[in-house]
Amino acid sequence: MIPTRALCAIGLAAMLAAAPAGARDLTIVAGGGPLQDHMRSTLFQPFARASGIAVADTSYDYNVGPIRAMVQARNVTWDVVMVEAPDLVQGCEDGVFERIDWSVVRRDKFLPGGAITCGAGAIGWGVAVFYDTRRNANGPTTYAEFWDTRTFPGKRALRRGARITLEVALMADGVAPGDVYRVLATPEGQARAFARLDALRPELMFWSGGQQPIELVNAGEVAYAVGFVGRTTNAMRSGAAYALKWETLLYAYDYWAVVRGSPHAPAAMRMIEFITDPAPLLELTRLWPINPVTAAVANDVEVRARNPLMMTNHVEKGLNISTEFWIEHGPELERRFAAWLNR
Amino acid sequence: MRGQNALAAVLVAPLLLLLAAAFLVPLGTTLLTAVADRELADTLPRTHHALAAWDGEALPGEEAFAAVADELGVALEERRLGPLAQRMNFAAGGQRALLLRTARAADGLTAPYAVSLPALDPRWGERDTWLRLRDATGPVTPLYLLRALDLDQAPGGAVTRMGEEDRLFLTLFLRTLGVAVIVTLLATLLAAPVAFLLASLPPRWAGLGLLAVLVPFWSSILVRTTAWFVLLQREGPVNATLVALGLTEAPVQLIGTRIAVIVAMLHVLLPFAILPAYAAMKGIDRALIRAAASLGGSPVQVALRVYLPLAFPGIAAGGFIVFLLAVGFYITPALLGGPRDQLVASFIALFINREVNWGMAAALSVLLMGFAACAIAAARLLLPAALKGRLSP
Repeated sequence: MIPTRALCAIGLAAMLAAAPAGARDLTIVAGGGPLQDHMRSTLFQPFARASGIAVADTSYDYNVGPIRAMVQARNVTWDVVMVEAPDLVQGCEDGVFERIDWSVVRRDKFLPGGAITCGAGAIGWGVAVFYDTRRNANGPTTYAEFWDTRTFPGKRALRRGARITLEVALMADGVAPGDVYRVLATPEGQARAFARLDALRPELMFWSGGQQPIELVNAGEVAYAVGFVGRTTNAMRSGAAYALKWETLLYAYDYWAVVRGSPHAPAAMRMIEFITDPAPLLELTRLWPINPVTAAVANDVEVRARNPLMMTNHVEKGLNISTEFWIEHGPELERRFAAWLNR
Repeated sequence: MRGQNALAAVLVAPLLLLLAAAFLVPLGTTLLTAVADRELADTLPRTHHALAAWDGEALPGEEAFAAVADELGVALEERRLGPLAQRMNFAAGGQRALLLRTARAADGLTAPYAVSLPALDPRWGERDTWLRLRDATGPVTPLYLLRALDLDQAPGGAVTRMGEEDRLFLTLFLRTLGVAVIVTLLATLLAAPVAFLLASLPPRWAGLGLLAVLVPFWSSILVRTTAWFVLLQREGPVNATLVALGLTEAPVQLIGTRIAVIVAMLHVLLPFAILPAYAAMKGIDRALIRAAASLGGSPVQVALRVYLPLAFPGIAAGGFIVFLLAVGFYITPALLGGPRDQLVASFIALFINREVNWGMAAALSVLLMGFAACAIAAARLLLPAALKGRLSP
C-alpha cells in the first residue's frame, strides 16, 4: 500500500510541476527562415532591450489551425503571431485574435489597408515565375506562356492549394488580372480554372513549403516555378542565376496579431508598436529586402534605390490577392482543389 | 470460494481499467465527436428552442426570426460565432457569409423580424435556410459521416451524392485499403522465408540474423522513410544503378510514385511480419517434420501439410498486424508519395491540424476503423477455408 501511495504522490507532484508553465516569456511567432533570424536581431531583441520584457520567438508554417485549437483549449502559448490576411480577418470575427489596441499602436503610420481590426501590417509578400538561366536560357514571362509547354518544355511547380493556383490558371486562360476574382466567383470561371490545371497536369509538380520551389528549380526537377519572391531575390543576391518575372507577381500583406486570451496582451501591443516603427524596420531593410507596410519605410527613396529587387518597387505590375474573395470562397475551393489533386 | 473471486476481480481490475482508459474511452469519444452537433444549441439557445417547435412546413414564426436577429448580434459582439459559422458553412457554402452579415446588421434591425431579416438578405425568406439551421439542432448529425462517404445532406435531411468534382473520400478509402492489402501480401510473402531461415539457423547465427531484423525495427519510421528518399531521388543510388545497368537512359522519377510508397512501407513494416512468423516456426517440434518424412512424405508434402499449417497462425498474426498498421500510415506517403498516393490518415491530420474540423476527422477515423475491421473479418472467414482447400489432399 505504501509504495502505491508514494507513487501517487510522486505522480501528483510531477503533474503539478508540469501543469502551469509559470512565467512564460512573451512569445512571438513568424514564418522562420533567414528572415526571422534578421527580425530577431533588428526587431525582437531590440524591443526586449528597450522594454526590459523577455522575448522568445518561434516559427510556424502559417497554419492557424493550432492557434484556433489553443484558443479553444484556453491554453495560449503564443502571443504575437504573423498571420496571412484571410486567416486574420476570419480569425478576428471568430474570436481567435485580440482587437489591436490603437491607443498603443499608432494607426497612421501604415500604408492604406495596413491597420485593420485585429492586425497591424507587418510585411508584404508575393509569388512570381522564376527559373534558372543556367538550365534554361529563356522562359515564360506571362502565365499563358507558363502553360505553353511547346515553346517552353519541362516540368512546372505551383503551390499545393487553391489560393494563388486558381488565379494563375485563370490568367493563363486569358482572363485579365483585374477580372480574375469576378470570374473566379462564378461556377463557369471555376470550371475554366480547373480545366486549365487539367491541361497542364502531366507537367505539374506541387510545393507546400516556401523553400521547395527553390530546391526544385536548383535540382532541375522542374524547369519553371511559381515561388516566393523574397526567397528568390535573396538567392539571386547571393549568386543564383535566376530570371524573375515581375509581370507574373501576385502579392498580399501579412499582419501582426495577438492571440486571444494571451496573458501578455498589453506587452504584445507594445511590442507590435515597436516592431512596426520606421527605425528598427530600416535596420531590417539593410539585411533583407522586406516589403514594409509602414509607410515611411515603404516610401523611403534610399531604401527603394538600394534594393532594386524589393517587391515594393514592382507591385504596380502585380495582382493583389483578394482577402474578401478567399474568406468567402476559400473553404469550398480548397476542398474542390484537394479532390482534384487526388483524382 | 467467494473470497477467491473477489481477489481475482481485484487482480483483474487494473487491466480492465487500462482497457477502458486506453481503448473504450478514446473509441467512444471519437464516435461521439463524429456525430456530435452542439454548435447551434451552444451559440443560439433561443433559436434552437424556437426551431425545435417548428414543423418545417411553412416558414417558422416571428419568434424564431427575432431569436436569430438578437442572438447572432450578441454572439458576434462576444466573438463566439466562429464554431457555428464554421459548422454551417461546412454544410453549405455561403452560410458563413449569411450569418456574419446578419450578425453585423443585427443592431439596426427592427420588429417584425420576419419582414426585416428577409429584407436584409432574401435567403432568410427561404425555407431551405431555416431547414439547414434545423438540421443543425443536434444533438447528433449524420453530416460528417455522410461527407466522409462522399454523400451530402439536402436541406431537411434527404441524402444525396456529392457532385462529381467534390467526391474524394471513397477513392481515398479504396486506395488506403488497396495499398494496405498489397503491402500485407508482399510482407507475408517476404517474411515467411526469412522467418524460416532464422528458425532453422544454429542459435549463434540466428541471433545475428534477428539483430538484422530488430535494428531497423528499433530505428524511427521517419529515419527509415528519409533514407528511402535519399535512395530513390533522381540523382540517388537506385537511379544511378538503373542507368549504369542500361535499364533506363535517363533517371526515372521514383519519388512521388505509388511504388516508392509501397517499397518504403514494406521495409518499415516487414519486422512486424517476420517476428510472429519466426516465433511460430521456432516453436514447431522438429520431431514432427522427421516423423512426416520417415512416414514417406515428400519434402513438398511435408512443407505444405505439416510445417505450413503449424506455422500459419504466426504468419497470419504478422499479416494482420502489418495490415492494421498500414491502414493508418501517414508519414511515408506524405514524404515519398505524390498527391495521388496520400492515404486516409493524411486527411485525418488535415482536418485536425489545418481545418480544425474534428467532426470530419473523427468521421474518417470511425469509417476507416470500420472498413479495416470488415477487411479483417473477411480475411478470418476466407483464409481458413482457402487454406483447407489448398492443403487437404
